Amino acid sequence: MSILAFRDTNVLIQGITGNAARHHTKNMLEYGTRIVAGARPGSGGEDVHGVPVYNTVAEACRRHRIDASILFIPAKAVKDAALDAMENGIRLLVIVTEHVPLHDAMEVFEEAKKKGTVIIGPNTPGMISPPENAKLGFVPTMYFEPGSIGVASRSGTLTYEFVSRLTAVGMGQSTVIGVGGDRMVGLRFGSTLKLFEADPDTRGVLLVGEIGGAMEEEAAGMVASKEIRKPVFAYIAGSTAPEGKRIGHAGAIIAGSVGTVVGKLTTLREAGIHVGKTIAETVGMMREMLKN
Amino acid sequence: MKLYEYEAKQILSGAGIPVPRGALAKTPEQVREIVEQLKSPVVLKPQTLVKARGKAGLIKVASGPQEAVELSPSLFGREHAGEVIDTILVEEKVKLVGELFLGIAVDYTGYMPVFLISPNGGVEIETLAREKPDRVRKFPVPVSQGMTEKEALTLARFIGEHWAEMNHGKHLAELQRIILCFYQVFWNYDCELAEINPLGIRDDFSLIALDGNMAIDEESQFRHPELIRPRAQTEESARQEQDFRTRGWTYLQMDGDIGILSSGAGITMAIMDLIHLGGGKPANFLDTAQMNRQGIYDAFQIFHGSAKIKVLLVNIFAGLNRCDELALGIRDYLNAFRPSFPIVVRMIGNRETEGREILKEIGITPIAGLEEAVDRAIALVR
Repeated sequence: MSILAFRDTNVLIQGITGNAARHHTKNMLEYGTRIVAGARPGSGGEDVHGVPVYNTVAEACRRHRIDASILFIPAKAVKDAALDAMENGIRLLVIVTEHVPLHDAMEVFEEAKKKGTVIIGPNTPGMISPPENAKLGFVPTMYFEPGSIGVASRSGTLTYEFVSRLTAVGMGQSTVIGVGGDRMVGLRFGSTLKLFEADPDTRGVLLVGEIGGAMEEEAAGMVASKEIRKPVFAYIAGSTAPEGKRIGHAGAIIAGSVGTVVGKLTTLREAGIHVGKTIAETVGMMREMLKN
Repeated sequence: MKLYEYEAKQILSGAGIPVPRGALAKTPEQVREIVEQLKSPVVLKPQTLVKARGKAGLIKVASGPQEAVELSPSLFGREHAGEVIDTILVEEKVKLVGELFLGIAVDYTGYMPVFLISPNGGVEIETLAREKPDRVRKFPVPVSQGMTEKEALTLARFIGEHWAEMNHGKHLAELQRIILCFYQVFWNYDCELAEINPLGIRDDFSLIALDGNMAIDEESQFRHPELIRPRAQTEESARQEQDFRTRGWTYLQMDGDIGILSSGAGITMAIMDLIHLGGGKPANFLDTAQMNRQGIYDAFQIFHGSAKIKVLLVNIFAGLNRCDELALGIRDYLNAFRPSFPIVVRMIGNRETEGREILKEIGITPIAGLEEAVDRAIALVR
């Protein structure tokens, strides 16, 4: 098993006729993802690598059972496309687009909360479940192998670096999720941990974090309270970087106790998360604790 | 993108929130003209993006034109947190009996704006919220409905509880109106943060915004083209900033001597960590997003003329792109230029063998391990 995306997950591609979308649709199909439809106003009736294209999401949803949609949509149009997908009952969205306006994101997430829609991203390479041959997004597949490690990461390139090393030492992955690099993303480390906790085939979870934000602390709270009992490992990139500038006082209040990098690492360690100082050390810890 | 105080005040004023009378001066002579027109004691407020001007002694009060002119040379040209003061907002001095705080920030995990209001304005709201949490009221605003008249009145009444003189229908209605206008500004201008601190209470209990703080979400700038301006201090760095923005690159200069050319923020930060842990010092943070042959050639140019770089570490992890293409970009560069520093290349991924062949032709042996490559770069500096 994996989480969220499976062998039989029926996928829609919004904005399927763009160059990047065509290219990645081909890669996803080759990997085994069940892409059943595409949507793009004015392109109804066309096909992209054999996938039928409809003018609207509504029409695609009338013709097919759609479980998930991947949005290859320009930043300015993401809000309308995401609201459209939710309106039509799609319950898993992957928003790969970068530079989505903050207020647009708030509108989308408010609706997602009401409808119970899971949103991955924005600004994410997407997700992949190697045991299920399902890839929703554009992670390069060559280093991924089926296995029992769950990975959630805020950074695309760092994910590939980690996964290549995990695979090299025989630790394949159940599901790998890029949660997205924006300050405001849908699925966070906390909610991802819950999904991995419930997945019988995931033995341990790796969180690849970054300085800034509160996502790691949120996950630490769930580990500390024993809501998550599986072993959790973490690496925080940028822990030696100089402190970033804050934009204002009100922002700091809302972010809560988010303070120094040292504070973040301490919080994680005290919660019982195994934190590595480097990529190599983190992989070493995982190998040591999860062998057999 | 942070706005200057005067820009924020123009926006607030345009939305119907009272602000002091005043104008911008670029020279002491202009200061005099403005003070003469205002016919009132004035406050001289240097326009800088970094605030805390009061603490730095940069806000001056003058009783008339002569004093204002005498004070202004001590402000023009002075540096404040890296910014050179070249503009002063000259405003009438307003007599106050009290100060309120209004702010709207974004709760990134709750996906909502949060309206903050306090009867204790003019102080650091951060400290206040920690020490006297009962003096700060927070209200998360569902974006689909926005700030309602009812909620705005509730927030106004909270102020009325602490300011007996404000607790009258007329004054509460005015505060309610300002709260509604202020939320509209936050929403219409795609703010990630907006503050009025303080919102002054005058002796007739009317309200006036004495300072304005706004930061516009960078990704929404296309909706506000009138506010986009170069924020770099020199023309050279403004050009570079613009060039990087077009390319989608993020570049930060640092103090060290090991240049880093890598794509992806996460992996670049991880490389910086390895350099620090190994006792070295990074010269920069450069996140180039996607890379191709021309892109890597162009990125080399950033380091080209730098005297402080002693070694350049190039990290290529070709997942979506190809090693051979990027190796060609490096070859193009080395054929055209002769850099003064050695280059260490770490390279793995698609078409790695082909990429290695190309680099071998130009005398570079790429390293497959990230840690080894970083160690090599640190050793070369020593």
